[in-house]
Amino acid sequence: MTKSSDAKSDDRYLIWRLAKGLGQCLLALLLLVSILSLTACTKARSRFEPGVLRVNLGTEPPGLDWHTATDSTSFDVVSNLMVGLTQYTNDLTCAPSCAKSWEVLDDGKRYLFHLRDDLRWTDGKPVTAYDFEYAWKRLLNPATAAQYAFFLYDVVNARDYNTGKLKNADLLGIKAIDPHTFEVRLSKPAAYFIYLTAFCVSFPMRKDVVERFGDRWTEPENFVTNGPFKLTRWQHEYKMELSANPQYFDGPPKVKLVKMFMVPEASTAFALYENDELDFIDNRSFSTPDVERFRSSPEYKNFPLLRANYLAFNVSKKPFTDPLVRKAVAMAIDRSVFPRILRRGERPATSWIPPALPGYSPDSGLKFDPVQARALLAKAGYPGGKGFPKAELLYPNRDDVRLTVEATQDELKRNLGIEIELVNQEWKVYLATVRKDAPPMFRNSWGADYPDPETFMNLFTKDCGNNDTKWWSPKYDQLIQAAEGELDTKKRADLYRQADVMLCREAVPIVPTFLATQNIMVKPWVKGIAINPLDLQFFKAVEVGGQ
Amino acid sequence: MIALILKRILLAIPVLLVVASLTFVLVRIVPGGPFDADKNLPPEIIANLNAKYHLDKPVPEQYFLYLGRLAQGDLGVSYKYVNRTVNDILSDAFPVSLQLGTISLTLAVMIGVPLGAIAAVCRGRREDVIAMFLSTLGISVPGFVIGATLIFVFAIELRVLPVGLWESPWHVVLPAVTLAFSPAAYLARLTRASVLEIVEKDWVRTARSKGLSQWSTVTKHILRNSLIPVVTVLGPLTAIVITGSFVVEYIYAIPGMGRFFITAVMNRDYDLILGTTLVFAVLLIVANTFVDVAYQILDPRMRLED
Repeated sequence: MTKSSDAKSDDRYLIWRLAKGLGQCLLALLLLVSILSLTACTKARSRFEPGVLRVNLGTEPPGLDWHTATDSTSFDVVSNLMVGLTQYTNDLTCAPSCAKSWEVLDDGKRYLFHLRDDLRWTDGKPVTAYDFEYAWKRLLNPATAAQYAFFLYDVVNARDYNTGKLKNADLLGIKAIDPHTFEVRLSKPAAYFIYLTAFCVSFPMRKDVVERFGDRWTEPENFVTNGPFKLTRWQHEYKMELSANPQYFDGPPKVKLVKMFMVPEASTAFALYENDELDFIDNRSFSTPDVERFRSSPEYKNFPLLRANYLAFNVSKKPFTDPLVRKAVAMAIDRSVFPRILRRGERPATSWIPPALPGYSPDSGLKFDPVQARALLAKAGYPGGKGFPKAELLYPNRDDVRLTVEATQDELKRNLGIEIELVNQEWKVYLATVRKDAPPMFRNSWGADYPDPETFMNLFTKDCGNNDTKWWSPKYDQLIQAAEGELDTKKRADLYRQADVMLCREAVPIVPTFLATQNIMVKPWVKGIAINPLDLQFFKAVEVGGQ
Repeated sequence: MIALILKRILLAIPVLLVVASLTFVLVRIVPGGPFDADKNLPPEIIANLNAKYHLDKPVPEQYFLYLGRLAQGDLGVSYKYVNRTVNDILSDAFPVSLQLGTISLTLAVMIGVPLGAIAAVCRGRREDVIAMFLSTLGISVPGFVIGATLIFVFAIELRVLPVGLWESPWHVVLPAVTLAFSPAAYLARLTRASVLEIVEKDWVRTARSKGLSQWSTVTKHILRNSLIPVVTVLGPLTAIVITGSFVVEYIYAIPGMGRFFITAVMNRDYDLILGTTLVFAVLLIVANTFVDVAYQILDPRMRLED
């Protein structure tokens, strides 16, 4: 009896000792946390830092060399560090920037840019036409391996030089005539060419800096830029700091510092915003429930983007070899379902050219008409969907895309009585499949590179590497080629409209579904945030804390 | 002991070679390549890119080129993060994961081992049930749930700790606790099982029968001997925890190397995949060597065997 009670008390003592040890550890931890939080609190955390804008980039920009960068994250940073010959305005026109004026000569085949005299790099040296010449030649140099080199393929000899057929860069149609005059010769008139001069890949570059620092020339200690901000700090995978450039020709920006964090997880970024640790967030930091929760908040805004989603057919695969079937599918999808399920203010689309661009017409595409759709399907030999083979619809593995293809599957079953099999693949596998041998149907999207119908319409020409539908037509290609060279804006818009009708009403290799939007939330102390339909974010006009 | 360490280092070379070769082959078997993007590139440009990264050469030649560079300590370049070498990327990210991992592991051992010991000593009693309930919870609740809950409670509701980022020491607290949860729970279960096994041994009975107090029996005889399996798992566990956790780094926006285990594969960033795999393999070998050394300290019999 005594022995067992002894053992019991011994046990209790042991538990007490172990628990005490554990408790001490936890107590120490708690103490540490409270001390740290207290020190943080004593700093009297204000809701914002005046003159400092804190945003979320989402991920590390793969690179700031604008010749090798290809993604929107890098371009979001570069667009604030650099300016080119011209500059996009938020209403999609090209305004003078480094070039104060330009002349279009020889029926649109020669451009002469006149540069401003007061342009300076962040190290004080003047920005000259030679910097443009060097940059454009470097972009086209095969050794640079620039993915966007094809942007300048309209320049005389550019394609041959970039593909190694021509070795002498002096034969390119790119020349600095003097420090303030830059000449570009094109192999054919290209009405959209001026837009390319505002795009990141055509920005000037400093030969001495690039050659001296090699691969590390974009690190903050070496980087020389000419835009409203300069890169002062870059903690890879974590944060970038851009500070105001006092030498910027248009006057320094209104904020003194932009902190760009790289928070990959949307819910964390949103929580950081809610906790006043970020001042501005966009789609990258939003989940659909968050959009729903804050839709009525004055901090929430929604902007249309030039990014179109579409359903594509591989027209070499049955039953989509028959245009009647493709038309039936196009008319059986009620596009208004997409904004209802995605809930980000998406705009349903039936034409391939978006409303903001010349050539757009609301009547170019086939509208939702289930009765007519069934009639077309019956005419193609599948009355009520009978005998229609089960077709595959391939999509990349992403939640929002899954929702849209499920809705499409549902619409087609209800309105046409046909069964669609949904197949998803991981992003890169999906890309490889579509490129190699696209299934009968696949879901895709396209974002404009510049605000001109060409960026959309060129996609379905015979030689375009992104045309995975296997559809092409000499008539369509002729229309696009004619539009590219047409300098009369009205005639040009008309040519694109005709091509759009062909694409969305007659041949129907694709079914445009909806246009994406940018959703943002901005804290009340931030003024001047505007979203460009190309989704480029310019921070030079932004104010924080009303200073 | 020095002989043991030397033996381990020599053995590591063929192991690493096998790991590098297997990974090299596997990443190239997966469909999709580093330059596949939603905007398809003209074949000429793909050719330029492949030439720049030597991907135009036959695979065996790529393999030997890679091994040649590896022998010089060069892990290659990233295809995704243009102009950055894998060495750069990992040397930036690893210290962050190492800091966070060390704190988490310390926390896990401090909590897990005593918790397991309490549970074993009180086998079948209330304390045991509570401890095992906690550890089951720790093992079965995924990191992102624990992380989100901690963020919600401490950052959004109580506003005592930051939501995420890696700015000051107090930014370490929530991620370290999140990361410590599952190893602590695992260690608690393991310690409990091991202690229960040792308690039944004859020499424990001998210790008790010669009148040793419970405290001395447990700490000097039971705990020390039951630590062998704990130390065994601590090896791989250390390698896993200090190379970072994708989930924890993602939800707290921490610039560690855990994320690369996933993103490098998604981007088909061949050299970065190989780099992270090799770093992990090296750490695993180092950690296991430490474990073997620790065995010899904990269990004198092992010294004799060697």
